[in-house]
Amino acid sequence: MPQSEETIATPFQLAGESLLLDARRAIFWPSQRCLLLADLHFGKAAHFRREGLAVPPQVALQNQAQLVELLEEYVPERVLFVGDLFHSDYNEAWEELGDILTAFSNIQFELVKGNHDILDDRQYQKFGLQVHPLPLPLGPFLLSHEPLDTPHDHLYNLAGHLHPGVILRGRGHQSLRLPCFFFGQQQGILPAFGAFTGLAIMKARPGDQVFVIAEERVIKV
Amino acid sequence: MNEQTVIKVAQDWFASRGWQPFPFQEESWQAYLEGYSGLVNAPTGSGKTYSLLMPILLDFIRRHPDDYRSRKKNGLQAIWLTPIRALAKEIQASAQRAIDGLGLEWQVAMRTGDTSTSERARQKRNAPEILITTPESLHLLIASKGYATYFKYLQAVVVDEWHELVGSKRGVQVELALSRLKALRPEINIWGISATIGNMDEALEVLLGSHLDRQKYKMIRSNIKKQIELDSVLPDEIERFPWAGHLGIKLLEKVVPIIKNSKTTLIFTNTRAQCEIWYQHLLDADPELAGIMAMHHSSISRDLRNWVEEALHDERLKAVVCTSSLDLGVDFRPVESIVQIGSPKGVARFVQRAGRSGHQPGALSKIYFVPTHGLELIEAAALRQAIKENDIESRPPYVRSFDVLVQYLVTLAVSDGFLPDDIFREIQGTFSYQSITEEEWNWVLSFITTGGSLSAYDEFQKVIVDANGVFRVDSKRIALRHRLSIGTIASDSAMMQVKYVSGGRVGHVEEWFISQLKPGDVFWFAGRSLELVRVKEMTVQVRKSSKKKGKVPAWLGGRLTFSSQLSEGLRLKIAQAARRELEDIELQALSPLLDLQNDRSHLPEEHEFLMEYFKSREGFHLICYPFEGRSAHEGLGALIAYRISRLQPISFSIAMNDYGFELLSDTEIPVDEAIEAGLFSTKDLELDIQRSINSVEMAKRRFRDIASIAGLVFKGYPSKQKRNKHLQSSSQLFFEVFNDYEPENLLYLQAYDEVRNFQLEAHRLRAALQRIGQQRLVLSRPERATPFAFPIIVDRLRERLSSEKLADRIRKMTLQLER
Repeated sequence: MPQSEETIATPFQLAGESLLLDARRAIFWPSQRCLLLADLHFGKAAHFRREGLAVPPQVALQNQAQLVELLEEYVPERVLFVGDLFHSDYNEAWEELGDILTAFSNIQFELVKGNHDILDDRQYQKFGLQVHPLPLPLGPFLLSHEPLDTPHDHLYNLAGHLHPGVILRGRGHQSLRLPCFFFGQQQGILPAFGAFTGLAIMKARPGDQVFVIAEERVIKV
Repeated sequence: MNEQTVIKVAQDWFASRGWQPFPFQEESWQAYLEGYSGLVNAPTGSGKTYSLLMPILLDFIRRHPDDYRSRKKNGLQAIWLTPIRALAKEIQASAQRAIDGLGLEWQVAMRTGDTSTSERARQKRNAPEILITTPESLHLLIASKGYATYFKYLQAVVVDEWHELVGSKRGVQVELALSRLKALRPEINIWGISATIGNMDEALEVLLGSHLDRQKYKMIRSNIKKQIELDSVLPDEIERFPWAGHLGIKLLEKVVPIIKNSKTTLIFTNTRAQCEIWYQHLLDADPELAGIMAMHHSSISRDLRNWVEEALHDERLKAVVCTSSLDLGVDFRPVESIVQIGSPKGVARFVQRAGRSGHQPGALSKIYFVPTHGLELIEAAALRQAIKENDIESRPPYVRSFDVLVQYLVTLAVSDGFLPDDIFREIQGTFSYQSITEEEWNWVLSFITTGGSLSAYDEFQKVIVDANGVFRVDSKRIALRHRLSIGTIASDSAMMQVKYVSGGRVGHVEEWFISQLKPGDVFWFAGRSLELVRVKEMTVQVRKSSKKKGKVPAWLGGRLTFSSQLSEGLRLKIAQAARRELEDIELQALSPLLDLQNDRSHLPEEHEFLMEYFKSREGFHLICYPFEGRSAHEGLGALIAYRISRLQPISFSIAMNDYGFELLSDTEIPVDEAIEAGLFSTKDLELDIQRSINSVEMAKRRFRDIASIAGLVFKGYPSKQKRNKHLQSSSQLFFEVFNDYEPENLLYLQAYDEVRNFQLEAHRLRAALQRIGQQRLVLSRPERATPFAFPIIVDRLRERLSSEKLADRIRKMTLQLER
């Protein structure tokens, strides 16, 4: 269980399940001891750097550190990456991610494939990563990388891909863009875990539940 | 041959064409031939081109007195830099005329973004003697292998329209290119041509850089003063409450006869939307103008603009409604009259526009000023005085622009590579980088070689250091991408291209405007009524529509701010009005409004600073009038609000225009207490500014340009945009990660420097506070809003309400005010 549970994670009931929304952009599902993460984009900084675009290398380190922190705090049995685990072509950062995966060999890591997950299958096998090329049903949920167009009758679709964010407006032309968890009637979108990934601004409709992430807190708006 | 003999050659040629050289031309010829560098200060249309083109040819004749007529393939002798491609053609024609006239066998070529690859290759094999090019294209030359050989015979570089470049990052590009050329050819002559600006001497220093040490430089002034006549178009009735809303359309009927009575008229507007609206209304008012009136602004496609420019040149047009996009450009000799709609915000811009008419030396330039609200008439009076006294704005040069330096170093690495010690010495000789420290230099080097990482496992690749210590780029892909990025001016990523379904580009509009429309909707753009057919990725497909009514796109983008020259002139004119010195016709016309201001509140004299405090249904208004321009007021407003809020908890909404700013609160504002506590003091200014202004958002916007120039964001190859999705990012993302992980990054810090110097105009803010410190504070407590306050309040309301409702609302307000 998280040591800093008083602020960093917020409990949330979804499809009859109790979840924890963590400000480090993750969902923990205690009854299944399962951690859900979307759009990690590991290797993106290295990918850019290889092409001469100077993304600060600390971006990658920070992402790795945060993943390790979550694994150590929640001690999940299963970790589900809901797509875009790795940013496109192979680079050294894949091995660094592999070091983390193998260090936690008692955890089952699984990947629901996303559009950026284009590595050779052998690379996934190398670190014992179980790959789901199609949407994965799990309890009351249906996990997919891209939000599914047609809603499923019984299952609630949890997805990533969009990197959701919202704009909060205050007095005097002040506004804030913040990443968020976005839960609609039949579909929920996880925030992007990776830094250096950007935000897509979402429009909330009545009935949608939005939790913004601000300074290590998850706040319902 | 000595100087006098060769100069005679030029004089004879002039005489054979029936011309008489101006004294400044002969002075330039002499100075050039004596080996001077310098700056020629001459307005457009004064024969400035020949002031420097002739001596380049004469010098060659002097060096080859016996065979100058037959010598071919002499290598590149001179580079002529111009800020815009459109000018290149005309210079080429002038140069060709002189070459033919003197009987030389020289070639003149142009190299711009439009030049084909084959033509560039031809120029490379067989260098022309004179190359007319732009700063970007010159950098591209330096980015090609073996460039030093190309410049082996170079004698001179002339930078045309230097006043346009000096206050921009393209000016810094020129400085850097010159620093390299000077190292290759230490004896070259460097000359600039500039219209009058406030900082001529500085402009000369920036241009010459280390050449100043040779002590052989001159400023040559043409002393040709353009005769400018300013005529204000006066409304029949002065509204007692001016509101900046109707874009001047009310005076349209008085503009039509101006167009009728003159051969060709240029009508300058301040924004693209205003341009569209005026075009449309003029057509409605006088349908005969259809077909002989055109529109020109920067969002209209290049093809259409080219057509307009040519038609103007060939006297096929009676009128063109335009924006600053026509400030520069080819000499349009047929243009007889200029109309300026609304405040030009600066003296230089106004003079420049006035100069678009009466292009023959000595001709009178006539400019009509059409105010969009009453108070702008005071500006007209101020402008007239500034023109009379030749009080023109300065163009402060950009200094220490690390983004441009990063780009330049990669440019050098892409071609033949560079040794850091050599280049460090060269750039220290430029004005822009004279203060760069060794530490900063090392940071830049490390940024392009390691991307800021010291990790051995890192795969960062851009510039490598080879065994000989030469910094170079090996990767072909990186080299290609860099070359492509040199010429790209950062543009809004949210711009969408407008095209006919049948093909043919119309121009571009902002994404948010299109997002309000649905297929079938009609909008006005480029003077045409267009129906939205569909949106496909970043392209808007349209077809012509016959509907008369439609929305007009608005383009976001920085609003111009008053220059300090104009601000000062305005304060002076108001003071004159306060003393009833109504010499200007504009002030006479405005006297009902000025009287009302005086009755309700006060007209400040030079030694006075006016503040107004009153209550309305909206709340408590505190309005201050520094007359210092919108940017400075943005900072001042936030600063004053912050200082008051320290006295007691209070929240404000802040509004501003070029005259002043308003703080509005729903509770009583402790005005007297605040004044006593030193509301306008310069004490702790820097700190208070930091605390009061959210500069992060501003810096983020500034960073867009910086990231693009420094090559951090790559917009994709022109032809295969799709394939590079994996490399796409935004400057905003970079800004955020630098903010989080690399706050010492010089590019990141540069964004904040630019906000201080160019956006908030920190120096003006400080100067304004110092001035206010010397003035007597006049706090008036009018019962209701005054004529001065009215435009500020209206400006604030406009941001909240739709325009239609606003008009109603204002009508009501005016009634209420006059009761």
